[in-house]
Amino acid sequence: MIRIASLCLVAACGGLISLSALAQEEARPNVPKYASVEESRKVFDDAVQPVLMKHCSGCHSGSTQEGDLDLASLDPDMKAGTGGGRWAMLKKLVAAREMPPADRPKLSDAEIKAVTDWIAGELKRSGRHFSARAEFANGNKVPHDKLFDPNFKAKFDSPSGLRRLSPEIYAANFITAAGVLAQPFTAAGGFAFKDMGAAKLDEPTTVLLIRNAMQLASGQTGFSLDGDKKKFANMVPSQFPPLFDESKEPSDAEIAAAISVQFNRVLGRAATAEETLRFAELWRKNRADAGAVVGTRATLAAVYLLPEAIYRWELAEGQLDADGKVRLTPRQIAYAISYGLTDRRPGPGLSGAAAKGGLDTREGVEAAALELLRDPKVSKPRIARFFREYFGYGHAKEVFQDEKSNPEHDATELIKDTDKLIEYILEKDENVFVELMTTNKSFVGNSVAATLKKQRADTVAKYRDKYDKGLQEGKYTEESMPFKVDRRWIPGRSVYEAYNLGDFPDPGEQPVDLPKEQRAGILTQPAWLAANAKTDENHAIFRGKWVREKLLGGVVPDVPITVDAQLPNAPHHGLRERMKVTEQEYCWKCHTLMNPLGLTFESYDCFGRFRTAEPVLDVEATEKNVDKKGKSLGNVTKAIPLDTSGGINDFGDPSAEGAVGNAVELLHKIAKSERAEQVFIRHVFRYFMGRNENLGDGPSLQYAQKRYRESGGSMKALVAAIMASDSFVCRVPSADEGR
Amino acid sequence: MTLPRRDVLKGMTLGAGSMLLSPILSKMQAFAAGQAVAPKRFVFVVESNGVLPEQMRLAGMKRVTREDKQGYPFVDESLADKQLPVSLEPVDRWKDRVTIVQGLSGRVCGGGHSNNFMALGAFGGGRGNGNGQSRKINGETVDGALSRELPGIFPHIGIGMSKRIEDNVIYNISAIGPDRPLPTMVSPSFAYSNLFGSVAEGNSRDLYAANANLLDFMRDDIRRVESRLAGQEREQLGAYLETYETLRNRQSRLNEVQHTLRERGPVASDKYTSAVEIDRLDAMFDIGACALICGLTNVLTISSAAGIRDFDVTFSGLGLKKDKHMIGHGSSDQGRTYFELYDMIRRWHFERIAEFMAKLERVPEGDGTMLDNTLIVYLSDGAEGHHSRCWEWPMVLLGNLGGRLRTGRYIDYPSYGARGHRTISNMYTTWLQLAGSDREFFGQVDTNLAGIETHGPLEELLA
Repeated sequence: MIRIASLCLVAACGGLISLSALAQEEARPNVPKYASVEESRKVFDDAVQPVLMKHCSGCHSGSTQEGDLDLASLDPDMKAGTGGGRWAMLKKLVAAREMPPADRPKLSDAEIKAVTDWIAGELKRSGRHFSARAEFANGNKVPHDKLFDPNFKAKFDSPSGLRRLSPEIYAANFITAAGVLAQPFTAAGGFAFKDMGAAKLDEPTTVLLIRNAMQLASGQTGFSLDGDKKKFANMVPSQFPPLFDESKEPSDAEIAAAISVQFNRVLGRAATAEETLRFAELWRKNRADAGAVVGTRATLAAVYLLPEAIYRWELAEGQLDADGKVRLTPRQIAYAISYGLTDRRPGPGLSGAAAKGGLDTREGVEAAALELLRDPKVSKPRIARFFREYFGYGHAKEVFQDEKSNPEHDATELIKDTDKLIEYILEKDENVFVELMTTNKSFVGNSVAATLKKQRADTVAKYRDKYDKGLQEGKYTEESMPFKVDRRWIPGRSVYEAYNLGDFPDPGEQPVDLPKEQRAGILTQPAWLAANAKTDENHAIFRGKWVREKLLGGVVPDVPITVDAQLPNAPHHGLRERMKVTEQEYCWKCHTLMNPLGLTFESYDCFGRFRTAEPVLDVEATEKNVDKKGKSLGNVTKAIPLDTSGGINDFGDPSAEGAVGNAVELLHKIAKSERAEQVFIRHVFRYFMGRNENLGDGPSLQYAQKRYRESGGSMKALVAAIMASDSFVCRVPSADEGR
Repeated sequence: MTLPRRDVLKGMTLGAGSMLLSPILSKMQAFAAGQAVAPKRFVFVVESNGVLPEQMRLAGMKRVTREDKQGYPFVDESLADKQLPVSLEPVDRWKDRVTIVQGLSGRVCGGGHSNNFMALGAFGGGRGNGNGQSRKINGETVDGALSRELPGIFPHIGIGMSKRIEDNVIYNISAIGPDRPLPTMVSPSFAYSNLFGSVAEGNSRDLYAANANLLDFMRDDIRRVESRLAGQEREQLGAYLETYETLRNRQSRLNEVQHTLRERGPVASDKYTSAVEIDRLDAMFDIGACALICGLTNVLTISSAAGIRDFDVTFSGLGLKKDKHMIGHGSSDQGRTYFELYDMIRRWHFERIAEFMAKLERVPEGDGTMLDNTLIVYLSDGAEGHHSRCWEWPMVLLGNLGGRLRTGRYIDYPSYGARGHRTISNMYTTWLQLAGSDREFFGQVDTNLAGIETHGPLEELLA
């Protein structure tokens, strides 16, 4: 198990913002050329090893191998050895001054240059290709002020690249029957959003891809046998059947026509002459080896497997401009926009715009993206997915909440409500960020309210006479009568109670206005609160971490491996009291970033219900709660007063910093902060770019914010502006490590 | 904060493909030379619709139900002088190698008509999925995990029967990791061409040949594209290329064992395309046994309509008209009660298992036979009943893995939550440890089992 992540823990604890991004600004080193391993080794021995011995091997060799890095056994021959990836990582950390950690002596500039130059040269000599831009998993490390400073100049650095299709794109375009075609892809993981990072492609994935491709090709060419004669299904293109004829070989033109149809279907373009030739050759070989039926299907299947069908093709292939960037081709831009919003290949609108030069300018791209965003006929699942992933409230379903205290807790319904609220805010599309932070509107069991209310009314009506009679005859009391509102098992009760309501709103009344002093935006929705909770209580640390990272753009280091992150088991104390352990000096430097934010949400319980007191174990009463034989009859709780105070610190926007009384105040304060709005824009940017921002993205982010403001806070305008920005439509060509 | 580990990992795994194989090859050579290390093989037979615990009881044995079993003592009895339950009679010949295990729970799985991937995974599907039946894949399943421990030419082979004759491959119960299902081949012809296609004739041979051409073509095509790229994109595409090289290597290894495949491979029959579900399943038992005998894999999963898509299959080949869903709900058919029908269908499976065991027993290996080094596990993805709750999960183990297992036993663990209670996680950990893993736990912890040992193997099963 490799735990390289722990390498930088100590470093990260030291300061909120790392220097890594700044280091990108340094001039790229002149990469030395080593003709032989001996030449490289000599430089290593003379200039590099002494530095490593002096500064690094104390922690990274012998008995202590922090991060599982053993410099003593790391082969300096990257061509013959397998250590190239680790050296590339080492170079990155040293260049970013993340290593040695903050509490150790720093390397001098000359030492850094010696180490990084040699690694670059040796990587180049090895001829192996290690990623030149290892992305930081945490985009917040890029300094915020520089990104939004119009006077700060940084080199444009939107990397050219291939990105494997996301599982969603693959599913939308290829998987039609669940259970028969398997999803071959999984998200890379480890990033803020699922569709980021270099996703894996391994052998089992390819096995599935091939199987799916064969299945798809068979489905495309279905036929039944009428004696010896093949009767093709109606949907089979007329170009395919001639290839299935065992007795007569089709003409070259017929073969080419079939290949062309398949290219258009799968890749949305015609085959080149060269591709046609190669596929025709494959078909002939397949026909000879495997017969016309299997052979043709395998040939058609191959188109589904081409790199172009598996990857998003965002390569800098054209001419460099003065700034060293290349504009993607109109076709690539059309794909990027379409995949970015719909998961699907571009439709006629975008393809048409691409063909007619409509995507050649920023204005053109922005208009095309806006048109797609405004088109009610085209579904844009990626937008809703952004909000689900950003807010993370879908996680409410994964939290196993205590069945005893709220047996009917229905996370699915709460999630749907928050989905719906976001949809509502996006429909209005005004001041979206502020609305997300502050609205007191809410949907309440929106998808079930009407049905359940009607069911209940019907049932009561049906048995009304019986109950009335029963009441009169003394068979029931008011207490024992079914369908009294305060009875636990009333369907949907847990849902409306999560919003502190006594019943569902009437149909047509959704969304309802909840008390302004109780609710403010998505973070006070039960789904979000339940997603950031534990089995039976709140998780103020999760909640605080979320606000720190997603709204304030801060960096909270991982829990150091030496820390056993457990709150004391003291159920007779409130959460704030129990969290006092995190105020020790060693803990507090991280917890100060979370606790004051997260504890403001103590106004809600782990199901999202607003409250004014906190239940804790009543030790005395529990001790007395026994039966005649002294056997416990269960725990007894008592309510203690709540302290929901907290504050915003270390944010970087003085107008927003300071003490707050509760979460609602906190959220209103954040909503007013321009810096928080910018942090939100950074997250939108990351999601639609599929990568973290770097300093070179400053102008793109500033443009996006400008358009967002000009449009009165429109999400559509924001997304279109990001898609029209240089970061989205231009690339810097890749070079092998050590350029 | 996490640093990208990919690059580090990538550096570590370059060339891993070739390194991975060498220890196994050397083991095989050592074994061929008559030295130590005996192979280990695992076979899972997973039947849908649950195994009723009272039907696993030994004749004359009183077994109280879960509800009033609180404090019921742990049972560990020899099978030697006992009569096996009626559905297990076909394996009576190997009674000293049979272990019936009752009382393990798997509450994390949630239950329902099927526990799908959760059954062999011992994980949950998350809340909000209705009455269980989630098809979520939150982790690897035990057969997937074992395939990593005991990799063969095919690390894992999944075969079985689906109620839908048109299906070739489905994804129902096995997985290699979160969201990474392993396929179950449900068309015997398709399985045959995949596994034995290199020596096959007709359609299977065609599929095999086309597949080989496809691999070659893709390898060349990707190389062509790769040569135009640099840096990150070249690396990305390189990973894709590498997968084709790995697959091509497998193809070569299949060619190398052609002689064995020809000699010991299955003989294709009209059962391969039969509309009768038990014919196809029967053919799969044969294909599976041959795959083991030819050394194609060490981990085999045979699915009898397992998974939510197929659990309500009709065993028309046994003359039944009612499907398993109706039987599960208490329907009688052909003059038999649902209870008798459960036994009848299971007995058919044990007849196939008996044939399977006999085939392995005919192949000498080391000082004994292949059967000596194979463990066959029978269980249901539906745990203990038609609407499972996973309070218990009856299983039958057949084989002792070279004497490592204490067999010929009837073992019943105390009921859920009682002292001495154990879970399917313990069972899966046991198997993994037998396969050479040092894992202490498998699956997801049942947090409601305070004070119960959810970690570690089932010591009672070990010799």
